[in-house]
Amino acid sequence: MLTHYKRTPTQKVARGFSYLFMALCVCVALFPIIWVVLSSFKTNSEIFSNGLSLPSHFSFDGYVQALEIAPILKFFANSLIIATITTILNVFCLAMAGYVFAKKRFRFKNTIYAILSLSMVIPTTALMSPVYNIITKLGLYDTKFALILVYTALNMPISLMVLRSAFASIPTELEEAAYIDGAGFFRTFIQVMMPCAKGGLASAAVLTFLESWNEFTFALLLTSSTDNRTLPLSLSYFTSQFSFNYTAMFAAITIAVLPSIIVFAIFQEQVNASLTAGSVKG
Amino acid sequence: MKMMKRWLSCALALVMLLGLVGCGGGTDEGAASDSGSESTGDEIVINYPTFQVGTNTAAPVVAELVNRFNEEYAGQYRIEIEEVPGDANYAERIQVQISSGQLPPVVYGGGYALLDLALEADLVVDLTDVVNADPEWAAMYDNDAWQAANCRDGKIYASSSEGQLIGYFYNKELFDQVGIQPATTWEEFFDNCDKLLAAGITPLAMDTADGAWVSMLLMGAMVATSGDEGLEFMNTKYPTDYNIEPVVNAVAEMQKWYQNYTTLDAVGGAYENAANNFFSGNVAMICNGPWMIGDFSDTSKTPEGFDQNVGVATYPGGFVYDAPIEGMFVTKQDDPALEEAAIAMVKFFTSPEAQTLALEMQGMVPAAASVEITDTATTNFPLLGEFLNMASECTVRSNTFTGNMVPGLQDLFSAELPNLANGTYTPEQFCQILTDFATENAVA
Repeated sequence: MLTHYKRTPTQKVARGFSYLFMALCVCVALFPIIWVVLSSFKTNSEIFSNGLSLPSHFSFDGYVQALEIAPILKFFANSLIIATITTILNVFCLAMAGYVFAKKRFRFKNTIYAILSLSMVIPTTALMSPVYNIITKLGLYDTKFALILVYTALNMPISLMVLRSAFASIPTELEEAAYIDGAGFFRTFIQVMMPCAKGGLASAAVLTFLESWNEFTFALLLTSSTDNRTLPLSLSYFTSQFSFNYTAMFAAITIAVLPSIIVFAIFQEQVNASLTAGSVKG
Repeated sequence: MKMMKRWLSCALALVMLLGLVGCGGGTDEGAASDSGSESTGDEIVINYPTFQVGTNTAAPVVAELVNRFNEEYAGQYRIEIEEVPGDANYAERIQVQISSGQLPPVVYGGGYALLDLALEADLVVDLTDVVNADPEWAAMYDNDAWQAANCRDGKIYASSSEGQLIGYFYNKELFDQVGIQPATTWEEFFDNCDKLLAAGITPLAMDTADGAWVSMLLMGAMVATSGDEGLEFMNTKYPTDYNIEPVVNAVAEMQKWYQNYTTLDAVGGAYENAANNFFSGNVAMICNGPWMIGDFSDTSKTPEGFDQNVGVATYPGGFVYDAPIEGMFVTKQDDPALEEAAIAMVKFFTSPEAQTLALEMQGMVPAAASVEITDTATTNFPLLGEFLNMASECTVRSNTFTGNMVPGLQDLFSAELPNLANGTYTPEQFCQILTDFATENAVA
């Protein structure tokens, strides 16, 4: 039974501040999105002259131009395919690696882990030439598979770190109990450890998906046809050294971003639940 | 547990399915060869990466030239455009391809010193014999600026299609308000600026980001018109000493412009900000080339009728920037037939006919002086006709200040300009920073 009590003035002030803080957070999060959407209805001159004003009139010309100038929808589909496969591959492979690094003892374990983690600090520019050479030599230039392979590898260190920690936090007794009950190595991993590491798996998946979705440099370098290019490249179609069309660019950003926001808004409860699921297991 | 197994099976099945569907289709175009070109039967396909797509002003010209080339060489050669949107993206990509030794058959050098980088890697085909065998083509090289842009050590390696004839534009209405005319001397120019300022009008559009193109043009014009030393400096490829009197003086003037004669968004701003300030009537003058003319009548950027309000002028001291942009070059390929196709493409794209097409379609200034300015061009772009007449009377000409810089220095110039503008550096210190970088990265 709920007990109602009267709040003290201090509590009321604190509550007021907490609402104010939350409102501020909401504004900070929503402002860029609203600004981009509103800018997609303004002229270039309005965007530059008074960035914070409302459009003088609502016109969908920017959207028409955006779809004419760059093959945004095709790039969107490509991004979806590449980011999805990358995420699945990355999480599945790195979950196995993370489990072994967290729970098994073998020689040079820490050295190998350190070497794998070190790749996180190699700058992208240093990787460009070798990756381009390898991909062209493998005959994978201008294929989606090239990007999937590269993104899976690029996201390896962070996923490994997240998943290793997730598996390490699961009590060893659970694993031992599975072995005592007759489960083999693979069965223990799939049926006992993986469900307990759901939180880590979700975190690694979200990070990998976002990284793959936003990646620009290798998408530019390793693909040449619209059949294989991804969404971030489409935004470069709207500005060049001496010409620009910001209205169309903001329209393109809206087209690119709104579906992701809608999907996240629909599934946010499931995403949040999966992110916190691991914390109460074991 | 069963649920987990089912999810895992579904995920694996999805990976395989998407892998088959998604990855199978992409090999048609690019995988035929490392350099991105292929032969289909007797027809040789040239994959041509270009940033002249999307909103780039040259995009319609390149598309038209590709169509015409493919028609003329139907069954023999075919160009397939590979879109690399964004100038900087294009340069970065070609640089990686140079380092890996796998360049496409034809590369457009633009303003990124790509020719020298490719030459260093020994990837460029010598065009001397091919050009000399064609009198019309060879005639274009009878010019110091052409040779500086496209020749090295007496050999021809590239061919230009576009010239860089640059003056400045001014807002006639604002000039009329204070009763001034375009200046013929620098004293008069700054007197005009002071009069504008006194009337509450900001005189100059300036920028610092992305190479500080607009600001750099005005500063370079001062260097070029300062005397023989300055002009020689402006016509020297890859100079290493910036701490010379004409440059220091011009940099000192530029520091004052940032502090007194321009808008608040100039420091940190890019070309877009400078252009918008001019389009909106916030400033009276902007330095830029004729490719900007089309924007004056684009009502998404400017008020209705703005184009009627814009005048054009050359710089004080009878100066105009005049340098062909580094042209297209052919790269070494395993297949000699592909090299021949690439040479045919470069010849076609840089021919007088192609330059006339670019002039009439987009108002692009021809690279070759021999290309006639047609009535169609002057009718389509009256301001261009006016400017070309003025430019023909200019006696002092040079490349741009950043156009001659060693690779990488333009970025440093741009990055350090805010420090000059806010007084952190003296002009001498700023020039020393440029000198140090140019000396360390000198190009032989």
